Amino acid sequence: MVSTIVHAGFALLLAAGLLGDHYDRRALAVVLTIVVLPEVDSFLGPFMSGAHRTVGHNLVLPAAAATLLYYDTRLRERSALRERLSDRVSDRGAARWIAVAWVGLFVHTVAHVSLDWVHLEGVNAFWPLRDRFYALSGEIFVSTADGFVQTFVDVEIDPETGGRRVDAGEGGTSRTVHVSNPVEPRDPATVTDEPIDRRFPVANAGWRLYLIGLGLFALVARRLQGADRGSDSDARN
Amino acid sequence: MAPTLVNAAVGALLAAALLGAAFDRRSVAIVVSAAALSDLDAVASLVIPGATNALLHNLWVPFLVGAALYWDGSVRDASWLRERVGWYGVRVAWVALAAFVVAGIGPELFGREGANLLYPVHDAYYHVHGRLVFSTQDGIVQTFVTRDAAGPGILPLQSPGTTGSYAIPTWVNPDGRPGLSLDAERKLYLVRTGWQAVVVAAATAMLAVRFGWHQATDAADTRPDDETTEVSR
Repeated sequence: MVSTIVHAGFALLLAAGLLGDHYDRRALAVVLTIVVLPEVDSFLGPFMSGAHRTVGHNLVLPAAAATLLYYDTRLRERSALRERLSDRVSDRGAARWIAVAWVGLFVHTVAHVSLDWVHLEGVNAFWPLRDRFYALSGEIFVSTADGFVQTFVDVEIDPETGGRRVDAGEGGTSRTVHVSNPVEPRDPATVTDEPIDRRFPVANAGWRLYLIGLGLFALVARRLQGADRGSDSDARN
Repeated sequence: MAPTLVNAAVGALLAAALLGAAFDRRSVAIVVSAAALSDLDAVASLVIPGATNALLHNLWVPFLVGAALYWDGSVRDASWLRERVGWYGVRVAWVALAAFVVAGIGPELFGREGANLLYPVHDAYYHVHGRLVFSTQDGIVQTFVTRDAAGPGILPLQSPGTTGSYAIPTWVNPDGRPGLSLDAERKLYLVRTGWQAVVVAAATAMLAVRFGWHQATDAADTRPDDETTEVSR
């Protein structure tokens, strides 16, 4: 896996940009929990083949959660979630935590699922609707010789039949793909006598260290900078 | 150099995270430009040997600008900058400086090409390559920082060379050396790896959400008054 710390670092940067007035320690903690929790699917690995990068790392569950949240808080006349939150905190608190939930969903999709999508065997993006791993890799450039070139999605057209074949980095299914993680450091199918080496990565490449640094920088900069003019003038009035 | 689009995208993410009440179209444009600005040294490399990732990718320029901003804002009795452009301008200036360093120089330093951090005082490119892993067999494995790295560098980082020995090809200057090479093939990279694609997509989504939000709240909210309001930081 891309280290959980890398996900958390990028998540901090995104959360700082999206939380706005709700930015504080508790809101950050909730967003980070939403981002980190899906990593628990590593522990399902011993019981379910290919569970890691499948159960917690797909686009279907965030989409379903977003649909439910939208339906409950925007479409229904009386939102069950808002009422329950209002009972426990206050009306303003309910609005705040619903906004934080939206941020959590966004950040989980971008900082967790998408970053794992571009790493190793990728993620089982449409599980449970479709069991197929996708790994995104490629580059985009404009060249004087070849014009606009992108290699993320390969489209091949068979010159004889005219049939199209699209390759968006499809890999195996949860039966055949194992993404190594500290819980299961190697594919359970391989048999070897070597001692088990569990590796807990912090950053396995420069750019991952960079993303951790970005998150920490945003956190420290937000602490150091003074109050916003908006809140200051509020206090004065 | 890392694609300028990636520098700009990180700059946009920083703008959203740090501008606070100063966030609007103009300030975001300034911060994103600051993030992309450092890549202009590729143009200078057409004349100055090895200027790419050196002339505007060293730490002296941002250090001097930062010192000037700090002196003006915190040491002097009355801040020249705040008198002219108000709280808004001071915030934008600091965030633009942060974007220049973190979004402009950072991706080069942590990417494949490297940045000439101490140029022109000491001429060596540096890049941060390696891993930091805890392994149950090998303990802590750390290869980002190395004391005894081979190469011309004096910082404890790996160094791919100096402006004389190491040329960085760009679309402006395909061979990295002075002189126009008009016939050479030019490649303008937009995104070089998967994670860069994620960063660009994240920045696009972030700006869409933030500006969509603004429009939604602007209707109900009166706009904050212009820069004449002054509040001490």
